[in-house]
Amino acid sequence: MSSIPPEDTIPEGDDLIAAEYVLGVLPAEERRVVARRIETDQAFARLVARWQQHFDPLNEQFVAEPAPGDLKNRIDHRLFGTEQPPASIPLWNSVTFWRGLAFAAFALAVFGFGRDLIQPPTTTSSPQLVASMVADGSPVRTLAVFDDQTRLLKVSLVAGDVPQDRSLELWLIAGNEAPVSLGVITSPQVTAFDLPQPVADKLRDGTTLAITVEPVGGSPSGAPTGAVVAAGTVRGI
Amino acid sequence: MTPEGISELISRVSLRDRAAFDVLYASTSAKLFGVCLRVLGNRTEAEDALQDIYVRIWNKADRFAVADTSPISWLVAIARNHCIDTLRARKPVAAELDQAVDVAEPSPNPEQSAVTRGEAQRLHDCLDQLEAVRAAAVRGAYLNGDSYEALANRYSVPLNTMRTWLRRSLMKLKECLEG
Repeated sequence: MSSIPPEDTIPEGDDLIAAEYVLGVLPAEERRVVARRIETDQAFARLVARWQQHFDPLNEQFVAEPAPGDLKNRIDHRLFGTEQPPASIPLWNSVTFWRGLAFAAFALAVFGFGRDLIQPPTTTSSPQLVASMVADGSPVRTLAVFDDQTRLLKVSLVAGDVPQDRSLELWLIAGNEAPVSLGVITSPQVTAFDLPQPVADKLRDGTTLAITVEPVGGSPSGAPTGAVVAAGTVRGI
Repeated sequence: MTPEGISELISRVSLRDRAAFDVLYASTSAKLFGVCLRVLGNRTEAEDALQDIYVRIWNKADRFAVADTSPISWLVAIARNHCIDTLRARKPVAAELDQAVDVAEPSPNPEQSAVTRGEAQRLHDCLDQLEAVRAAAVRGAYLNGDSYEALANRYSVPLNTMRTWLRRSLMKLKECLEG
């Protein structure tokens, strides 16, 4: 190839520096210089972007691995100085958001349970119910996803922890009926609740899910006794 | 999650939407943690890096709008660049050499789109046109964060020789990819 110089000379040029930056082989100081240049030199930034596109397919080879459960809290603490949930969820009506939520919870479920326990992939046409549970002033944030086919309600703790000396109990509240206990959250990541058909039937758009703090093992009376640390409405997507 | 879904989440994060940030984290952190583990080679550093990376994503989300790239590529690039910078700041280099073992490469993700498959195939075909050892150096650099110094040590050649043949390999690769 005419554009490739003889074997004994180092080929030069911005395009190769861009490639080396994307590849990652440069030493620290050169990387800093190049990184600054990307910020200020648009033509050069385009060269970098083009090389990044070329190498993007290799990204498939990075094997996903769930991060430790408390890491998000640490990030929130650094960014917001608090572990409180946001005051409101302006995304409430965004279909993309809810699909993302369902995906996210499903992804957590996959990592939480291992692939063996995951049912055959649900078809995209299968209706899914999701709920995001939060409460003002509470550190607990959870996502719940119900799979109609397996009747499994998978609840992921996004933030907050399972307390040592108490239990977090999950409740279903349909309309004006009394709360029905679905069980206690046992995992700091994902807990699956196998819902009996009569209970599953009550889980539909508009049903409320709530989590309360109860004595270890759950409320002895069968009705919630402790503070609500998270609650949310079920949505169909 | 679809690329469109992730793009929307990043856009909402740039508007300081914390709920979107939660979902973005839940849907992408495992992949980015995988990047950190592979490049940095130990969990403690990978955990610290992942925190820095999401802080950066929160702060830089508005940049995504002008980046001409897929959202997951954008996120992985942030993660890779951060991890490589961390590696380069590490001393001594010996630590890098120790971990520069070949990691088994998983088969390509069956869920990727036909377009992505085509691009992936082309990259792999073009890499295969390089001498095997040079293709391995290119892949190793991208996936493990090998430096020129580490590569020169591994292949027992002077630094400048390493740089010459890697640059020549990159030129051949570009001709193949864009030709």
